[in-house]
This record gives sequence, structure tokens and C-alpha cells, in this order.
Amino acid sequence: MKTEMPLSKPIRRFITHTEELLDTEVSLLRQPETDPMGTLVDKYTYDIDTNVIIFPAHYVGLLKDFIIAKHCTHLLMKGAAAKLSAYRVCSYNEDSVYRGMRQIYLDALKDEAKKENKLPVQKLIQMLFILFTHFNDDVNEIPWNAINNASVYHSMPKIRKTQLYHIMKESKNDMDEMMDQESIIPRRYFVMNKAMFYARDMYLAKTLPADELMPVLNIPQMKKFNHLEVKEMLTTRWTQTAWYQSKVFGDNMLEIMEKPLGPVDWKEEATLEHYHELYKVGVLVTDNLLSYMTMRDWFVWDTPQNLIAANENRDEYEKSALKKIFGDLISDAWGDS
Amino acid sequence: MPSKEVLELLRKGKAYAARTKFKDALLYYNKALALEPGYPESLVLRSSAYIDTGKYNEALVDCDRALSVNQNYADAWSKKALVLFYLDRFEDAIVASTRATSLNGNDVSGWYIKGVCLDEMGRSDEAQEAYGRSLELEIILDIQAESKKIQRK
Repeated sequence: MKTEMPLSKPIRRFITHTEELLDTEVSLLRQPETDPMGTLVDKYTYDIDTNVIIFPAHYVGLLKDFIIAKHCTHLLMKGAAAKLSAYRVCSYNEDSVYRGMRQIYLDALKDEAKKENKLPVQKLIQMLFILFTHFNDDVNEIPWNAINNASVYHSMPKIRKTQLYHIMKESKNDMDEMMDQESIIPRRYFVMNKAMFYARDMYLAKTLPADELMPVLNIPQMKKFNHLEVKEMLTTRWTQTAWYQSKVFGDNMLEIMEKPLGPVDWKEEATLEHYHELYKVGVLVTDNLLSYMTMRDWFVWDTPQNLIAANENRDEYEKSALKKIFGDLISDAWGDS
Repeated sequence: MPSKEVLELLRKGKAYAARTKFKDALLYYNKALALEPGYPESLVLRSSAYIDTGKYNEALVDCDRALSVNQNYADAWSKKALVLFYLDRFEDAIVASTRATSLNGNDVSGWYIKGVCLDEMGRSDEAQEAYGRSLELEIILDIQAESKKIQRK
């Protein structure tokens, strides 16, 4: 470990365990303006020698410890895959972008036909690729988030209280996602996006039992959750909101997630093979979710480097897809300004 | 009260430290201490920068100097607890963090260091209590920070 900051015992042991299993180094870095859930910059994704877990500078205690645990778990899955088979992510290419954007366009047209206030064409065209990449980000995040949380929950009981707070916070932020674009996005995609988060929340609600709620009882700002079980806390959020319709899809997605996750033995010895199994489960969950959302041909499993390259070429891919969808109606100068 | 000049130097030092430019921060803290050598806040800030640059013995000297001026300076005890942790003096760190948290019950870092050091000494139950207090405070601060962020937006 490259950083000597104070860490609780289980976390320090876990970092050492991670380094030993992967034969690599993990560095910790405080940064004032980083994602509240922290960031993992790892050698399996980027061309670097060491792995860095970055967390907000104002997290000095257990809040940082949980972030470290979560990212170490993810790192272990990535590393195990890289060592025992191959580490792949959901990437995209020119053809798959076309398939995705075309599908979104067709669905948007159906929605627009029913709307009184039509979306300006320019905005509709812009929305296609934004939505496509949004789903790419989400499918690369949500299944792994559920697995990371379940794994940390079972392997590190001493930081469960911290975990609960992080999950609540993350769930709230994720629910707010896309809200300001609700009237623009085709209903189907809005619901699918919410349903994925719903499924993850429900899965975690089932995983975390009620008695872990105790630490937040004395916090005034969280008093409203008093006497509620974890499951109730997470479900109440959903059932009292405008996204109730996401429940139908969300329940199906929950089933899809639970099928491969159900047989996992979380208490199994934390070997490289164990994390490789978790990685394979993550791939399966992702595939099944993509099939359910009929997005299977939008993305391709490829190296993280391929995804980085795809992100660098995103303007080209978008232009090319728009050309194919709209032909000469789209000028060559689209997106250049 | 320190002079305006000292306060301004400390403000600049803190700004550099916040951007993890500790060597620049140290320059400003040194200037502030050259003007008013015994000002405890300057000493604690410099000890913090020393910690971030791995100079633990220098940091400890500054904490002790600050405490010799004001024995009830909670931040100095808290920083001292952190330095002692880095120096693997866990027993002494527990004493310092206990003093820090009794002077300022809302010291997240103080409670956390106390938990870590108690854990190191095998006093697990006491450690859990300290961790619990630290977490409660950290969550409250985080919620407040989030609210401020939302208000700014």
C-alpha cells in the first residue's frame, strides 16, 4: 500500500489482501473535487503501473473506508478476470452505435406522434447519442455496483453501517438522474433507466437486513427513516414517486439479477477464483439485462482499451450513424460546431 | 488576535493545502510563524502540512508548541493524535485523541483516530464505540455539505 493514512483494521487487511492476490499495488488519494462515491483508476483499464482509489478529501473516517472496500472489490474482479481469463467491458463500435441510435429514434418517433408539444428536431437528434452512451455507462455500472455491495456486505460486517448510508445516498442521486429530461426522453428508455436502479435497490434491500439501520437513528436529518426497515426505506422511495410504473419492469429486472446472484456463496474463501466467479456473474447479469431491454446488439464485450478508443471516436460514430439514419437530411457539418 | 497579515498568510497557505500543494502551503505558514512565532493556529496548520509531507517529528514538535501555549486547544490535540498514529505510538495517540474529543465532541478525525488506535491495541469494543461516534458525525457533515451544494446550484 502506497499511502499511510489511518485506516480501520479490516480495510487495511483488505487492501493488503487485494495487493497480494493481484500482485499489484493500491494507492489511496484524497481529492477535494472528486465523485462522492470515489473513483478507481486501475491498471486493467488504463495504461498505468499501479492502481489508485480516489476519494473526497473531506471523508476522513469510515465513509472513506467503505469507498476503499467497494473499489478494492471491483479491482479484485477486474484483476481476477484479467489473470484467469480476460477482462472485458461493454463497449461499442460504429455499427452497434447505429443499431442503438436507430432503435431510439424509432421509439422516439412513436412517442412524438402522441405528444402535443413536439420536441424540436435538432434536440431529438442530439438526444439519440446522449441516450445511447447513457445506457452504456449504466450497464457498465449497475450490475457491478450490486455485486460490489453484496460482496462488501458479506465480507466486512464492521463497515455495514457506513455502507447503508452510502447506499441510501447513491440511491437518491441515481433516482434524480434523467429527471430534468423526463419530457424529452422516450418513455420506454426513461422507464428502463429507472427500472435498472429500482432492481439494484431492491436487490440490495433484500441483501441488507433491518438491524443495520441502527446507526442512523440518532442523526436528525435521517429521523424520517426511523422505525423503517432497510427494505422499507428503499421501497418507500420508489412506491411514493412518479416512477411507480418502473416497478413492473424493475421487478422483472430484479428477477433477472437474482437468478445468477442467488447461488453465489458470498462466504466462500476470498480467492482469485472466487472473484473470477463474481466477474462471470456480473457479465451474465449484464447480458441478461441487455437482452431484457432489447439492447443486446447495441454493445459489444471488448477490452477496456477498446471502450476508451470508442469514447475518443464517439463524434465519428455519432455522425456516421446519423448519416445512415437520416441520409442527406443531415449535413456533413453536423456536430462540428 | 493575530495581525491581519498573519491571517492572510494562513488563508493563502490553507488554499494551497486544499489543492494538495503542501510545499507552497508550508512557505506561507513559515512566513506567518516568522511574524508571530507562538500563534497556535499557525503551528497546527504547519503540523498538518508536515504530516502531509511525511515529516512526522517536525509535526509533533509544532503540536507540542501549540499545546504549550494553549493546553485546551482541541485541534492541536487532534493533530497530535494523528502524528502519534503515524509514529506508531498508539497508546499515546489514544490519550491525545481522548483529550481532543473531550474538548471537542464533534471532532470526526479525533474519534476515528481513537478507533483506529484502539483497534490496533486489540480493544475492539471500545474501538467500535469510537468508530460509531465518528461515523455519526461524518454523516451529519456530509449531509450538510450536500445541502450546501444543492443550495449553490
